[in-house]
Amino acid sequence: MQRLDRLFESSARSLAQRSSRRSFIGVLGRILTGSLLVPLLPIDRIHRAEAASGPEGSPGAAEKAPAAAKGKSASKAYTEDQESCDYWKYCAIDGFLCSCCGGSSHTCPPGTQQSVVSWIGTCHNPADGRDYIVSYNDCCGKASCGNCDCYRNERERPLYRLSRNNDVNWCMANTGSDYHCTVSVILGSAGP
Amino acid sequence: MALLGVTAAVGSAARAGPAQDYALHCMGCHGANAQGVPGKVPPLAHSLVRFMNNAAGRRYVLRVPGAANSMLSDAQLAAVLNWVVTQFDADELGATTPRFGEQEVAANRHTPMAGVLATRAAVLREIAAVGPAPATGY
Repeated sequence: MQRLDRLFESSARSLAQRSSRRSFIGVLGRILTGSLLVPLLPIDRIHRAEAASGPEGSPGAAEKAPAAAKGKSASKAYTEDQESCDYWKYCAIDGFLCSCCGGSSHTCPPGTQQSVVSWIGTCHNPADGRDYIVSYNDCCGKASCGNCDCYRNERERPLYRLSRNNDVNWCMANTGSDYHCTVSVILGSAGP
Repeated sequence: MALLGVTAAVGSAARAGPAQDYALHCMGCHGANAQGVPGKVPPLAHSLVRFMNNAAGRRYVLRVPGAANSMLSDAQLAAVLNWVVTQFDADELGATTPRFGEQEVAANRHTPMAGVLATRAAVLREIAAVGPAPATGY
């Protein structure tokens, strides 16, 4: 028993000689500060939320996703109005609607050129219950239209998933790289 | 008119598989006919098959950022690449051209490539020494 006491006493004295309360408080402070910063790291929370609600492109997956993951226009209201951000085929759009800028939902306004590269995704059409492959082309060569700002970006991934991120000026490969507005071109129906 | 061509190309392949994976993960930049964008995005048509016939070219294709970092699984990536050459390079695709497999993709795509342009230039020189080379200028 005395031997055990001596062992604990010597290790406690040794620890006290090698460290100070001040350094302990410093280390503890660093750990606490570091823990507070962890939630600020660029972690893919959107995908995690969608994984919990259903597979990408699956019918109803977009509807089930939490509103927080859907950006400003999280409304589920069905509309036929192609000048409304809620129109179904705008589900992953990020920009000004060309239908409010002198063009249509799928054609660029006069004086602009359709981007040669684009973001392609799928949208669910509640009218027929099917998913469609949609190409979001920017219309380029004129200054920003400024009408009908639409930000939905459903199923977008963080910037480190570059091919699935829409914070890109798709006019980058055009001769005139000024962004004007965005169209949604249906390329076909998406399979299960 | 070009737009109609795009619609028809994807519309006819409206089911899950390599055609749809190509549309969702590759076509936005490489184009509906894998033609690329001159000076900006390298074409896959008449290029990918030439990489496939060369060992260094195969490794290069699987490690370029667009392929290596895509959200496709190893098996899906192999299937898409094989689909592209069948679809757009049928005239150059020989019976001896080895197709990509899941294991080959897995063994290569996770090794980062530091100098993409320098690697491409070196691979192109090697391929050009024995036959027609993939597109230059990228």
